[in-house]
Amino acid sequence: MAVETASRVSVAPLAGGLRTRLGRFGEISREVLANPTTLVGVILIVAMIAMAAFAPLLIEPNTPDPYQMPRDWGALNEPPGTPGHILGTTQQGGDVLYGVIWGARISLRLSIIVVSVTVLIGLVVGSLAGFLGGKLDEFLMRLVDVFLSIPELIFALAIAAVLGPSFGNIILALAAVFWVKYARIIRGQVISIKQNEYVDAARVIGDSGLRIYMKDVLPNSITPVVVQATLDMGNVVLIGATLSFIGLAEAGLAEWGVLVSQGQAGISAGRWWASTFPGLMVFLWALAFNLVGDGLRDILDPRTEAKR
Amino acid sequence: MQIRDYVLRRMMVLPILIIGTSIIVFTLTRVGGSPIGIYLSHEMTPEEVAEIEERYGLDDPLPVQYLTWAGGMLTGDWGWSGVAAAPVRQVFPDKLGATMELSVAAAIVAVSLGIGLGTYGGARRDRLPDHFARVFSISGAAMPIFWFGILLLIVFGVGLGWAPIGRSDADLFASIAHPTGLYTVDSILAGNWRAFVDAIWHLVLPAIALGFGTTAIITRMMRSSLVETMSEEYVDAARAKGLPEKLVLRRHARRNALIPTVTVIGLSFGFLLQGTVVVEIIFRWPGLGRWMADAVLRGDQATIMAYVMFTSVLFLLVNLAVDVMYAYLDRRVVLGA
Repeated sequence: MAVETASRVSVAPLAGGLRTRLGRFGEISREVLANPTTLVGVILIVAMIAMAAFAPLLIEPNTPDPYQMPRDWGALNEPPGTPGHILGTTQQGGDVLYGVIWGARISLRLSIIVVSVTVLIGLVVGSLAGFLGGKLDEFLMRLVDVFLSIPELIFALAIAAVLGPSFGNIILALAAVFWVKYARIIRGQVISIKQNEYVDAARVIGDSGLRIYMKDVLPNSITPVVVQATLDMGNVVLIGATLSFIGLAEAGLAEWGVLVSQGQAGISAGRWWASTFPGLMVFLWALAFNLVGDGLRDILDPRTEAKR
Repeated sequence: MQIRDYVLRRMMVLPILIIGTSIIVFTLTRVGGSPIGIYLSHEMTPEEVAEIEERYGLDDPLPVQYLTWAGGMLTGDWGWSGVAAAPVRQVFPDKLGATMELSVAAAIVAVSLGIGLGTYGGARRDRLPDHFARVFSISGAAMPIFWFGILLLIVFGVGLGWAPIGRSDADLFASIAHPTGLYTVDSILAGNWRAFVDAIWHLVLPAIALGFGTTAIITRMMRSSLVETMSEEYVDAARAKGLPEKLVLRRHARRNALIPTVTVIGLSFGFLLQGTVVVEIIFRWPGLGRWMADAVLRGDQATIMAYVMFTSVLFLLVNLAVDVMYAYLDRRVVLGA
């Protein structure tokens, strides 16, 4: 996902560079699949994205809004294994399996929106700061420092609180918090690449600033962004589910954090399933992207490669 | 650059960061509208509303309002908490005590378990304990604390009936004095053994839930830096002079591997802080985190602002302390960066 977003920006002036990059992409994917833990991550990701994509085929969508939990008033608090409700039902008669599957769709939407928006913002802010330098750079980087001095979840929590409780506002809050790292990564890359001889060479032969940026600086900044974006695909869902667990999403939403929160009430009565399965999904989702993100970092970062 | 200069420069940036944070926090809460809502009721006439606006300075220009608020934060007037139905400043120490007790307990769990597990795995590279340490450390970063806490409750609270929920037995603790606000310390000071056991008993599960992620981060760092130091030349030299492997590990490798781990311990402090919000909800712990969660759900602006300011300043101070400590521990660090 992030690979697409990041490279789409640079497609036009980059036809040649893109081709070699795609060739490298094939090489990287072979390396990724050779590492067993990364492979587990890839399989998990594919499975969960497939689940999200084919949700309407796997389980009949609730009408009118498929993202709302269906209610079966004749089957409250049924344990797992009940016919028609394999993973059991919630206190309100919601099918836990429905929440697990449609929750994947919500999580996929959430992470794609947040990661692509934050990568874009980070790209613009980081590039401006790194390339133009001076007062603007100073100001933007101090802003980044300030943003980083508030712990992520607490910052997102405060923003979501101000905007009011809704899942849409959780998306906004996460976007407002997650762009910072990209801005910093990209600025660092831009500055270090700017000092390379080939950039000087390009300037000497008369390339314009924009052309140098598109041809030399941007493609070389992509690697660490891809790693961070992969990790964030997991982190966004983790923190998003935490916010909705706290109570910032709509109550009937088929979302994992909401379901865990609502399942809490039945725990002391021995009804463990309503929280356990949706929470497990959050864990697997974050785990999968962490495994792949770590794997990518090992492969793409030449320093760790040398160490191994 | 001298370490002293470095520390001084970092200290000079600190107020700028704190001011920056306060501006963001203030702007943020004002985006949501004027805080006048908590003072209003349906029967008020427009004149009465205007009077309230004037009394609390809400008709002033925003920069003036910011200065009023920031001045209040500095002088101890932190506003009125709707959730606690009391001034924020008055409720704060009690809640802070509860949160600190929980966080320190979680940090003790995380540091001891993380360094232990990381050393054990790293010293046995690519063998079973190492694989275990690695899987554990990866799963820790991905673990939703809210789910892990609930699993602990399901297994140990409901299933086995071992652990209680909440902070402590209220009657038991009403009978002893609270000079520190930390139940464990207070019960020791009061010499009340039963209260001490009770306090610890209530602390175990939430501390494990809160410390899990941090344990994983520390394990991972300790493992990888130990693996790295074990292949250094001075470790080979220590082996060559005939030192037993145990001593090589303890005296040479582990000591140096601890340096980067210390940084990670400091950095994971923020992780611990934000985890308290969720853990305190699950375990009904009467601390800052649960207060913040309630404040968020009920639009209690004064509490939200005070809480975010407090945690950010704490976070900044800890990070500064860690960086300074790191600079002292490892003189090779390029301080200018």
